[in-house]
Amino acid sequence: MLFNSLTFVVFFVVVVTAYWSIHSWTARKNLLVTASYIFYGAWNPPFAALLFSTTAMDFWLGRQIAKAKNQPSRRAWLVGSVCMNLSMLGFFKYGNFLLENFQWFLARIGIIYHPPHLDILLPVGISFYTFHSLSYTLDIYRGVLQPTKSLRDFVLAVSFFPQLVAGPIVRAGDFLPQLVKPPRLRVGQFMWGLLLMTLGLFEKIVLADTMLAGSADRIFGYAGPLVALDSWLGVIAFAGQIFFDFAGYSTCAIGAALCLGFHLKDNFRFPYAAIGFSDFWRRWHISLSTFLRDYLYIPLGGNRAGWTRAAINLVIVMFLGGLWHGAAWTFVVWGLLHGFYLVIEHASRALIGERAWTANFAVKLLLGLITYGAVCLAWVFFRASDFTIATRMLGGMFGGHPHGDAILATREMLQIGIVTFLMMLAHWSLREINVETAVTRLPRWIVTTAWALMACAIILTQGSSNAFIYFQF
Amino acid sequence: MPSSTSNFKRILQLPRLFFRKPTEAESVHGGPPLEFERPIPQIPWRGMTVVVVLVVIAAAIAWEFYCRSIGYAPTLNNTEDLWAMARQRVQPESVVIIGDSRGWFDLDLDELQKGLGKRPVQLAGPGSCPYPVLADLTNDESFHGVIICSFTPRLFMAPPGSPPMERAEKNVRRSQTQTPAQRVSQYLAMPLEEHIAFLKQSDLTLEELLKRLPIPNRPSALIPPPPPPYFQTIDRERRARMIEECARPGSELQRTIQQGWIPLFTPPPPPTYIPKEVFMAQMMKAIEQRFQDVAAAAQKLRSRGGKIAFVRLPVSGELKVLEDRTTPRGQIWDRVIKDTAAPGIYFEDFPELAGFNCPEWSHLSAGDSVEFSKRLVPHLRAALGM
Repeated sequence: MLFNSLTFVVFFVVVVTAYWSIHSWTARKNLLVTASYIFYGAWNPPFAALLFSTTAMDFWLGRQIAKAKNQPSRRAWLVGSVCMNLSMLGFFKYGNFLLENFQWFLARIGIIYHPPHLDILLPVGISFYTFHSLSYTLDIYRGVLQPTKSLRDFVLAVSFFPQLVAGPIVRAGDFLPQLVKPPRLRVGQFMWGLLLMTLGLFEKIVLADTMLAGSADRIFGYAGPLVALDSWLGVIAFAGQIFFDFAGYSTCAIGAALCLGFHLKDNFRFPYAAIGFSDFWRRWHISLSTFLRDYLYIPLGGNRAGWTRAAINLVIVMFLGGLWHGAAWTFVVWGLLHGFYLVIEHASRALIGERAWTANFAVKLLLGLITYGAVCLAWVFFRASDFTIATRMLGGMFGGHPHGDAILATREMLQIGIVTFLMMLAHWSLREINVETAVTRLPRWIVTTAWALMACAIILTQGSSNAFIYFQF
Repeated sequence: MPSSTSNFKRILQLPRLFFRKPTEAESVHGGPPLEFERPIPQIPWRGMTVVVVLVVIAAAIAWEFYCRSIGYAPTLNNTEDLWAMARQRVQPESVVIIGDSRGWFDLDLDELQKGLGKRPVQLAGPGSCPYPVLADLTNDESFHGVIICSFTPRLFMAPPGSPPMERAEKNVRRSQTQTPAQRVSQYLAMPLEEHIAFLKQSDLTLEELLKRLPIPNRPSALIPPPPPPYFQTIDRERRARMIEECARPGSELQRTIQQGWIPLFTPPPPPTYIPKEVFMAQMMKAIEQRFQDVAAAAQKLRSRGGKIAFVRLPVSGELKVLEDRTTPRGQIWDRVIKDTAAPGIYFEDFPELAGFNCPEWSHLSAGDSVEFSKRLVPHLRAALGM
């Protein structure tokens, strides 16, 4: 079920009304579990069974970890959980990718092998709910979370419908405490939730789908060489599209959760105003970057074992982060590029250190724009479906096709330019604060007008049924 | 400072991953459950919400009145989900209409039902190549009914990857992968679209309104010609009918649509990035492949008792001249009929079918479509042995 669909509107109204009408906290949680499984099953009902089975397994494994008498046993149960989750992810998401690469490798050494193509349907959101679930056993093992006694509560923590299929990646440790006491209906919180949902939908269907997606799709789908202007605009359009698409989903999820009395953390914090790549990853897909940091980078040794080890750790983490996004080498290159950026940045910081001139706004702006440009370059590999397209795009961007084609209409170019300029303006204006602070500071009439305009624009756009980009991950 | 050798040794200590107690720093970042609560802006929410709701309702009502005042009326959107619903109505022995918008506009389901004894399922669609739907039906082993295929040469021969192919393929794909949520959304949308005029995805969305802005393009820019504006109503069976304003002689809408067909039906220039002769060879290969695929599909259908008839529906004015020039009958229609050994009804071959005028050159008016279908039925019965 998509947030931008009539089915979701009806579903949400029914769930919210029933939820706040029921007095019993247990009954309300049961309602949310049922609603979440309906929400998920509305895509493909059999996959709801898969979701439940992995959740139930982790619930049981979490208890075994907590009950284990000694460290080897705890470790064994954790390995069981990690293997179970990652093998599920590996089979559904990476099965064909691994087979294809195995076939390629055999061909390199002269063995011709034709594996059968596995007709595997990727369960929506498997990368997200696997991480929701995995965080539970990892935190129990690390001794920072007690296992819950209620299977129902854990099932709800993993499957809570606002964040189920495309994040944010909500750790069980952040969600389970919210299931202890029933939230109270607060008008301000509920309305703020609705406003965030409006903002999220506006970002998705107006800014991402209407203003930018068409241009990005045409540029990346064009079979011939393009002139530099069109190539750059296509990449810039995609940079905006993926931000508004994913941030829009996260904002909707946070808003929907608030309407039900739950608090989810920010997943984006104006990332295109980042100064440097460490800053970028503190602002982009925060729930994934903190997950990778806490469960991968730090256990690998983080930066505690010297500069070289930290650099290797960064590259490993970003390699796996790239692969998490999709079973393709283009995603791996995207991740490695970011790993490379982070290494360069760390090296630069070590060489230059903290100088007074780096605090100058003009310098910050310049560094921010360099960061944005490098991030856009990496997006080429993220968006291109293969390396032929990626190299053609890069060729166009750097003047390799002076006689290439121009395929964007002036209207599309204006849309990309205006939306990107306003996006950058907003990100740089708000980079030190959050949306809540901005809304509190703004005059009421501006907030009211903006809310009404966003709602009108959503109605005018008529909610196309484009799926959110991150659903495929 | 650790040496590179010591770093290398550390890298080898991979089992350390996950297998140790968290440090103090980790506990702060990733560890113990935090009593996290989002800040809520302290502003007068009730008053603001009331104002927003009132403004949005007022704006929607005003927009609805304006859209009606400029000629829009409530009708369904021609969506992939509506098509999928129609596809799900196909029974093993159904009569099915496939092809482009001429089959969509010009064939009246009531008249065909009267004449053929079965109510046809309408699977034709605007700007669509019939082949993906033909392949879908002939690959459906249970189907052994009758296919009436509307034949517009340029669309029939559309190469793989072209918009006419993609439109039809998207419909077929949606019918095969439609989720329960998409089905429910379609059921919820239909009553709204039947009562609200501004719910027109092809015309009145923000994107379509932006496309109408009179902004000149770069002279060298390769911009595809725009599709025609709204000029039909659609019902739940996907029966399309031309609106009266379009059928009214000399109307502005009629002229606009007429002029829109010319660039849409003019063969596009070959791509700049492929040598012309290579491109032409690719096109010829694709055309030849289409002839073979269609013949194979027709044979497959016949082998299990199904039937197919091709129908060339009326076309008028400059568009007819253009079509006759760029896609001559002898090169395409005659070849398809010969290769498939299927019956073909070419409107110009029969005086009772040839006398119709298409107001906007490409489709019959709602009234004429009924009369045309009535006159077409005997030919279909004879061709299909019904």
